[in-house]
This record gives sequence, structure tokens and C-alpha cells, in this order.
Amino acid sequence: MLSGDRVNEIVVEVENVPPRVESLPSSIQIFPEKSRVNPTFGMVSSISDIDVIDSQVCRHSSDTKHHQLLQFSASLTDSLSQTLHGPEGPGTDASCASAEASQGQKLIASLIPMTSRDRIKTIRNQPRTMEEKRKLRKAVDKERSKQCPQTLELRCCAQCLNSCSRGFRRSRNGVSELLNTTSLWQKTLKVIGGKFGTSVLSYFNFLKWLLKFNIFSFIVNFSFLVIPQLTVAEKNTLPFTGLEFFTGAGYFRDTVMYYGFYTNSSIRHGGSGISYNMQLAYLFTIGACLIICFFSLLFSMAKYFRNNFINPHIYSRGIAKLIFCWDFTVTHEKAVKLKQKNLSTEIRENLSEIRLENTKLTFHQQLTRLSAHVAAWLVSTGVAIACCVAVYYLAEYNSEFLKTHRNPGAVLLLPFLVSCINLAVPRFYSMFRLVERFELPRHQVYVLLIRNIFLKISIIGILCYYWLNIVALSGEECWETLIGQEIYRLLLMDFVFSLADSFLGEFLRRIIGKRFITSLGLQEFDIARNVLELIYAQTLVWIGMFFCPLLPFIQMITLFIMFYVKNVSLMVNFQPPSKAWRASQMMTFFIFLLFFPSFTGVLCTLAITIWRLKPSADCGPFRGLPAFIHSVYGWIDTLSGRPGYRWVVWIYHNLIGSVHFFFILTLIVLIITYLYWQITEGRKIMIRLLHEQIINEGKDKMFLIEKLVKLQDTEKRANPSALILERREVEQQDPFDLGEQAAVPDLRLRQSFQDDNSKA
Amino acid sequence: MGNKQTIFTHEQLEAYQDCTFFTRKEIMRLFYRYQDLAPQLVPLDYTSCPDVKVPYELIGSMPELKDNPFRQRIAQVFSQAGDGHMTLDDFLDMFSVMSEMAPRDLKAYYAFKIYDFNDDDYICAGDLEQTVTKLTRGELSAEEVSLVCEKVLDEADGDHDGRLSLEDFQNMILRAPDFLSTFHIRI
Repeated sequence: MLSGDRVNEIVVEVENVPPRVESLPSSIQIFPEKSRVNPTFGMVSSISDIDVIDSQVCRHSSDTKHHQLLQFSASLTDSLSQTLHGPEGPGTDASCASAEASQGQKLIASLIPMTSRDRIKTIRNQPRTMEEKRKLRKAVDKERSKQCPQTLELRCCAQCLNSCSRGFRRSRNGVSELLNTTSLWQKTLKVIGGKFGTSVLSYFNFLKWLLKFNIFSFIVNFSFLVIPQLTVAEKNTLPFTGLEFFTGAGYFRDTVMYYGFYTNSSIRHGGSGISYNMQLAYLFTIGACLIICFFSLLFSMAKYFRNNFINPHIYSRGIAKLIFCWDFTVTHEKAVKLKQKNLSTEIRENLSEIRLENTKLTFHQQLTRLSAHVAAWLVSTGVAIACCVAVYYLAEYNSEFLKTHRNPGAVLLLPFLVSCINLAVPRFYSMFRLVERFELPRHQVYVLLIRNIFLKISIIGILCYYWLNIVALSGEECWETLIGQEIYRLLLMDFVFSLADSFLGEFLRRIIGKRFITSLGLQEFDIARNVLELIYAQTLVWIGMFFCPLLPFIQMITLFIMFYVKNVSLMVNFQPPSKAWRASQMMTFFIFLLFFPSFTGVLCTLAITIWRLKPSADCGPFRGLPAFIHSVYGWIDTLSGRPGYRWVVWIYHNLIGSVHFFFILTLIVLIITYLYWQITEGRKIMIRLLHEQIINEGKDKMFLIEKLVKLQDTEKRANPSALILERREVEQQDPFDLGEQAAVPDLRLRQSFQDDNSKA
Repeated sequence: MGNKQTIFTHEQLEAYQDCTFFTRKEIMRLFYRYQDLAPQLVPLDYTSCPDVKVPYELIGSMPELKDNPFRQRIAQVFSQAGDGHMTLDDFLDMFSVMSEMAPRDLKAYYAFKIYDFNDDDYICAGDLEQTVTKLTRGELSAEEVSLVCEKVLDEADGDHDGRLSLEDFQNMILRAPDFLSTFHIRI
């Protein structure tokens, strides 16, 4: 919210408050100046006086502000000098123009020492026309080339560096244009945004963002795991039937898709001496994927928090937001009309909410509401637990069931049940809104989200528990491949159910809404439910990546197809949303969800797998080892034999393997967190104080304006004749045309007017 | 990159890239969109910096703008003379500010100017009434419109002078994180 340099500026401004008050007397001295410049024009309008005071005050405070804000005050003084019309114009215009020129000089001076990247960023962020920005850029370049003529070598180096960085920037732009990462589906997204607005667009942007994760994971896995393995691939003797696409078993079991196919040896080719250790490659590749995903998630989350976090104590009811946050992305004519109608409805609701704010509920009503909430929570939690228990018992029963029944399709029973639960229970939760009443509709959305998240996370949790505690220890040959197959089946069944939902479910709902029960109308796109489904699928992919390295590839294809299916379904079966949906806050929350239960859960699961579980004895890269991590121990042992790699061994033993290091690191992180938290609290207090100060300044301003108006009124009343005479002088150019009797009292009156002003 | 384009000199393109948030390819694409609006008027050679203005009627008929309730104000704010007729510079500037790369403060500044119908650097009650009318297309009654304006001034006017200054507006925008994504025209 507040960048570093902005905060410094706020601190400086607090100290500057006294000078602002002092500037007022200096502005009052403008009056005698003006009367000297224009002796015939004594009657100065009060409003323009105030504007002059304002510009004076603005100029004083703007000198201490950051150079970016200089432009805002410069443009303000620009327009202020335009409003100050009339004979008093030239005097103040000249001063305004000179002030603006000095500010321009200051801006150029501040731009010169910046690095080229910062300079371009500052120039781009100026609220000026293109022509002015170009002139600014040229002026800065000229000044820079003028400034250091003697340090020629330094200039050469700096120029080299500059051209290098510029070339790098251009090439990065070129590469991104080539890869078309930003313009993938550009037109489709534009149409979606044009018809449905930013909120629905946020779902598709989220999908695109997850797709990037999967593309990256796939590329890394493919290059470092699949390709080396393919070079030493064994022949696949199993028969291929079409059912493998659904079950993942059969022919696919002995392909690069699963953990079990990978060799545990070091791959050597042609006696060149370079060996590729598959064990280490497997572990490090998956680890690198996850670490990069971790940092990418962390940075995205931080960016969203920074942009979208609102200080809760200054939250407003939001009618100003409704007015000023019109969605400019909506371009379709019908959508705009619909949006205008919806906005009117929302404004009316907001107005009536404000009117009904003070109605309190009776005790009886409060009790009924509370009991409805408690009942709803009990039922939802009970249903979630029941589903988890059902899944667990089915999973246990499944392994026995499979031993007796040899039908290869029978393995689909568990994924089928899980997908049914994921389909039916969220819709069941949505029906609670008929019984539960919330004060704010926002709370309803949050409660629904929390219940759905709880359901999905518990199902994944139960399945992980089952896989790691039962399947891994069951003594099956190649249990890792079995887990990989299970995850593949879950993912695929989920995809099939989503397709069926889009093609059949939404289509049916449209037919019902249009033909049979027309009061229902078309449905609205449920962004929360769809995003949760994406998060659920991505969690499964991350867990399964260790057991099935090609899973990101499958998810990539799935997401690609889902984009088009959802797009078509959206255009045909849905109407634009009627309520404002806080897209940014929701996205922040979803990315946080993706990080916190989802990704950290994956890391925990994989950590347990790697450290605690025993790999299967005769398949996969870690066969025969007591634990997966022993491959790393073995590698460190071999390295400690070689003198050149002592530093790696030292890092491992003293930094990664030692408890003291992590203890100290944790302590440092906690101290830094505590300090930042205190700084944030201090800044919150500062913001509140400054807010109060702004209100007080406004009151001061109004008070002073009233006082000035009163003063001028009393002067007007005290010297009404002088006013008439002076006005006549304005009309006549030569004051000495009047008779002497008129001239002498004029001079006297003008003298008294000046005296009054100097006293004030 | 070695484009063989002859519309701009190398320096002109560099200047455009440094002064807007667009890449070279996007600037060329925008130029062709601008040229398509008035093919007879806009020359295909900008190396001599011709002074060409596309009239507001053509700008307002662009598919991205034609149904926007504020299209006239947008064109007025970004055109040099304030009349809605835009040169290529103004055109690029407009879409650069409305793109997703522009920072919040820059967008807030221009949004303030757009909503300031009488150009007095304050959003007064009259400006608010015009904004609300444009947004709701006459669905609200006059009494409701004035009630809305009152409520907005209550909420957002920090220094209680009866109108919104740029600082009040920026302060309010800070509480509305959706602003960045909604004040965005994709081209």
C-alpha cells in the first residue's frame, strides 16, 4: 500500500505542518501587492483569494514531496493559473509559470542520477501528455550527456552498460512476444471480459496462470527425467487396450509415466565417462520444480497482498466504490445495458441497507438465526466427516475387492465415488442459503467457501493418509506406481465429471430456466466453486508428480481443454453476474489457499514419503534403499571422498543437516517478523492521525474562508462609497479625469484600504 | 529485431517504447488500429511527424469504446485540445494508461480527470450527479441520484469541503482494490 519512499514523505510532511500555517500570512500580503500592481482594481473576489492561498500552500508542501507528486501539484497550479483570470492574471501567471519551470528543472535533476530502468519507469508513470514526456526524456538525455564530459572512460562504461541493459530489455520483450505467453487466448479473454466483466475473467486468468505452472513443470520433468530414461528404455511387453486412458494401468504401467519404470542406475553412454545418476536426478528435478513453484506462489501472493489488502478499520460500506469502479472492460452492448441495470439495483439495495442499518433484531430473532447457523455448521461438518469415512472404508475395501474381482474397470469405483462427492456435496451446501440468513451477503460467500474447502481438503487428506500408511506399507510390489495410478484415475475422473457437468448439467439448467421455469432465468457463473475445483486438481497434480512424472503434462492438456469447454458453456448457458464480486480480494484469497493448505500440504506429504517410507524393492530409481533420502546420504558420502567437493559436504553437514542452524535462522526470522509487525502497527496509528489531521485542516480551511468573507463583508459595509467610486475608476482609464474633489477622497480612501489590508 | 517497417524512425519507436507501457509490436498493432479508423486521413509514414487528428466520432465508434458510458469524457481527457479529437500520441497515451501495466496512481489521476466533468480539478456534487446518471442510464429517480451523491461525498470527502479533491479520490481508491482491474481497456 505505502511504498518505502512514500512513507518517508509522509513522515516529512508531519514535520512540515507548522510551515504551512506560516505560509498563510505571506499570502495575505498578496493583497497590498495586488493593489500596488492594479490600483484601480481594489475589489478582489474572495474565492480567487482562497485559490491563491491554496496554490501557495500547495507550492510550499509540494517542494518537500517526492518528485513524482510534483507533477500533480504542477498540473494543479497550471489549472489554477487558468482560473485566475482578469487583470490580476499576469502577476500570478508569471509566478505560477516560474514555479512550474523550477519544478520541471527539479524533476529533470532528480531523473539524471537514476538508473536507466528507474528513469524509464518514472517517465512512464508521469501523468503528462506524450509530447511532454518525449521532451522530458530528451532534456534528461541532453543533461546527462552534458554533465560529465571529463570522465570519458566512465561514460563509455556507463554507456556500454546502458546499451547492454537496454538490449537485454528489448530481447526479453522479444522473447516474451515470441513465446506469446501474454497473448495466449488474448482475443478470447477480451470477448469474455467484454460480455461478462472482470469477475468472471478472473477465473479464466487463474486457469491460465495454473497452466503456466504445469507447462513449466512438464518442461523440466521432460528434459531431466523422461528424455534420459527414454534413452535406456526397456521394451514394453504388455498389451494395449483402450481402457488404459481411464485406468492408467495396463500398458501404461511400464512406460515413463510412472515411477516404477525409471532405472536406478547411472546412465552412461558410449563410454564418455559422463554418468547421469537417475536417483539424484529424480529427487532433484522434482525438488527443483516444487521449489520454483513455491517461490512463484510466494511472490504472487505477496504482490496480490500488496495491491489488494485493505486496512479493515477503514473499510466503508462501499457506495463510492460502486460509483467509481465501473468495469471498463465490459464492451458488449447488451452486457453494458445489463450491467447498468444491475448497478442501479445494487445502488438501490445499498441505499436501503444504509437506511435499515439501525434496525436491531429481537432476542427471539437472534436466537433463531444463531441456531440456524449452528445447525448448518453441524450438518456440513457431519456430512464432510461422513464422506471422509466413506472414502476411507471404500479405499480399504477396494484393495480386497480388487483382489477378488479381476475386472480392470473395477479400479474406477473409488475415483467415481470421490468425484460424485465433489459434485453433489457443494451443491448441497449451497442449498443451506435457503435456511441460513446472513447480515452481509459477503459472509455467505465466505462461509460457503470455507465449508467447501474443508470438504475437499479432508478428502485429499484422508486419501493421502490411506496411501502413505496403508498402500505404502502393504507390501505390494511397486506401491509408488500404484499410488501414481490412483492419482491419475482421480484426476481423470474429475475431468470427465467437469466435462459432463458443463455439457449436460449446465445445458439442462439453461433449458429448464428458459422453457419450463422461466422465473429462474439463466444461471450465473459460480466463480468460487470453479476456482476451488481448479485448486483441488492442482493439489492432486503436485502430490502425484513424485509418483507419476508425466502428470503435469496430463493436467496441461486437461486445463487446455477445460478452457475452451468452459468458454463455450459460458457463452451459451450463462448470464453476466448481477452482483459486484470483489475479484481482487477473492483472487488474493484463492492464491493464499493455493499456497497455504494446498501447497504446504503437498510438501508435508512428500516430506513424509521421502524421509519415512521404504521404497519398493524391485522397481523405480530408489529400489533397495532403506529410505528415499538415503540416495542423498550416499551421494554426500561419495562426495566427501573427493577433495574438490568438500564445500558441498560442509554445507550439507553444517547448514542443511544441523539443528542449530535452523534454530538460529528461525529465531532471526521471528525477530524480523516481530519488528515489521510493530512497524506496521505504528504506521496504522500514523495513518489514523493523519486522517484526523486532514479532517481538521478541512475544518480550518472552512473556518478561515468564512472569516475572510465576514471581513470583506464588514469592509464593504464600512466603505460602501469607496466601492462605487473605485468601480467608476475601473471604467475610466485615467483616474485624473474626475474633478479634484473626487480624486482627493479617492486617494484618501485608497490609502485607508491599503492600511486596512496591512493590518489584516 | 530487424523489422522492415518504414512508418516510424528508430528513435520515434524507442521514444514510444520508453514513454508508454507497450512493446514495439504492440505499438505497431495500435498504429494499425489507429490507421484503420480513418485510412484516408492517417498517413502510413510518420517519420515527418505529421499533425493528424482523428475526429472524436471515429474514436467513439471503436468497438472497445462505443458502448462505454464515459467514452466522450475519456476522449476529451486524453486529447490535447480537450475536444475529443486525438492524434496518434494521444491515442497511444490513452491505451497505455488504460492498459494493465499502468500503476494505480496514474490510473487514479486520469480516472479523477474523467469523472471531473467541469474540469475544475474537483469532483463536486454536479460532477457526481452526471457520473451516476451516466452509470445508471436514467434508472434511478432524481431523488435517489442526489441521495447517492450525498452518500458518496459523506464517505469519500476527507477534508469536508463538499467536493472531492484528487487526494480524497486517491484515498478512496486505496480502499477499492478492484479499481486496478476494472479501470482497464483491453486492446
